[in-house]
Amino acid sequence: MNTTTHRPLHRDLTLLRHQIRYEQLSFWRNPQSAFFTFVFPVVIITIFGALFHDVPAGPYFQGLSALQYYVCTIAGLSVLGSCYSQLAIVLSTRRQDGILKRVRATPLPSSMYFIGLLAHCIMVSVVTVSLIVGIGSLFGVPLPGHAQWPAIVVTLVLGAASFCALGVGVASLIRNAEAAPAVVQFVLFPLLFVSGTYLPIQSDLLNGITSALPVKPFNESLLGAFARDADLAWQNLGVLLLWGAAGAVVAIRRFRWDPRPS
Amino acid sequence: MTSGAVVVADLHKSYGAVDAVRDVSFTVEQGEILALLGPNGAGKSTTLEILEGFRTRDAGRVDVLGIDPGDRATGRELRERIGLVLQDIAVEPYLTVRETVARNAGYYRSPRDVDEVIGLVDLAGLERRKVRTLSGGQKRRLDLALGMIGNPRLLFLDEPTTGFDPGARRSAWQLVRNLRDAGTTILLTTHYLEEAQVLADRVAVMSGGTIVSEGTPSTLGGRDSALARIRFALPEGCTAAELPVAAAVPDEGLVTVQTREPTATLRQLTGWALRRGSVLDRLTVDRPSLEDVYLRLTERDVAERTMDGSAR
Repeated sequence: MNTTTHRPLHRDLTLLRHQIRYEQLSFWRNPQSAFFTFVFPVVIITIFGALFHDVPAGPYFQGLSALQYYVCTIAGLSVLGSCYSQLAIVLSTRRQDGILKRVRATPLPSSMYFIGLLAHCIMVSVVTVSLIVGIGSLFGVPLPGHAQWPAIVVTLVLGAASFCALGVGVASLIRNAEAAPAVVQFVLFPLLFVSGTYLPIQSDLLNGITSALPVKPFNESLLGAFARDADLAWQNLGVLLLWGAAGAVVAIRRFRWDPRPS
Repeated sequence: MTSGAVVVADLHKSYGAVDAVRDVSFTVEQGEILALLGPNGAGKSTTLEILEGFRTRDAGRVDVLGIDPGDRATGRELRERIGLVLQDIAVEPYLTVRETVARNAGYYRSPRDVDEVIGLVDLAGLERRKVRTLSGGQKRRLDLALGMIGNPRLLFLDEPTTGFDPGARRSAWQLVRNLRDAGTTILLTTHYLEEAQVLADRVAVMSGGTIVSEGTPSTLGGRDSALARIRFALPEGCTAAELPVAAAVPDEGLVTVQTREPTATLRQLTGWALRRGSVLDRLTVDRPSLEDVYLRLTERDVAERTMDGSAR
């Protein structure tokens, strides 16, 4: 009895580790994905650091110094890139190339494939966020204290999971892989702007609207966790999780493995 | 308990109003190579995809190694036992050859040895090469490696040697034969009749969604009992009427004699020619080739589709 329940679990964990390892290999070997999801946010925070490191705290940046603000929003940007953009593009490309169908032909369970991808994306997010926080500290942004870590970890994991779900959802709706990067950027770029990633938004009306969209709640949660030693921003995380759930529903209903619809 | 590795009975599948597969029944015995032939759109791929568990069926019974591929609950078990080589090349471009094979090996309960399989498909020495730098033929061989890495009891090969040069094709055939000799059952589709001729133990021809003929490559469509065909150039200054046997002079100016008794007929003809002191230039004796039989069997399907095309 015991062995029959124990063995598959052990096997599944081995399988998961195996799958994550090869996702990591495929990711870091691909110059395009490594550049856009990894190097891009690191370059942005370095430029912002050089530009804004001596801008003092003030009401424009919600009572924070400019760089304290940007470390949080650019960390958010890097999670979006590692999770949402990466999955939407990688999955539609793999489907079009027949790689997904090939995975489906092996005994690897689909749940294991997606859990592996999710874990891989969270790992990439953790690496990029750490780098961004590290670069910020070089420019004088204080590192988060011990008391902040639980809120930071919870916010990052929930945010990464939600944006992964949204990424898979969008990949389920994209038919043509060549269009995937354009579709992803077309949605993301304006959303980042109005959500305060590059500039704090002072309009109450705009903030009211973007509070219901996924990016601003994530930025606010990160600001809360990193820069203010506030508790978890449950309302913001709730909005984020709802978006993640919506993405998951679309993914479950519409995701296809086969490049050719029947 | 059925004896066949694959048993298909009265299989039906339609897309909207189009019957893609109707009344298809066949068996692949353990350890044999069955080739499924037919023009594009004949229903081969749909049939194969139903057997592989990629598509659902509308009606009929399908048994693959004792498992119903339409049952999702046993899908993982089915995939442990079968191997697939699909038509399109689909491999991660940035992994190396060895990493690609090792990754898939990790998906199976009891895979074959990674280096052994790389050697079997003639990719030894290229283990550390990135997949994107391989030639088309090398990628297809990598695909073949992925199909057999799980040590499958049943291997599906969908046009496995498309894009191979003649040398690579011959070594792929040898590899497939070796797999068969080691006990693997193989179901393959191909457009190359030569491939079916040299590789398959049995051949089934599909046309218009049904199986129109089934047999060994040498007996398909009554090939073995068909009339033999003797052809030669008519000696100069002589007409077909002077020949000792009934003959037709159709294409290319070659006389064609159809006969049930090629030995006796040949003797009559050569005797006649020797007595006259003339030669029978370009003399050949043959039976309808597999290609002749195939074209005759699938004629209706092709004609229908040509009519469809002109009606549009």
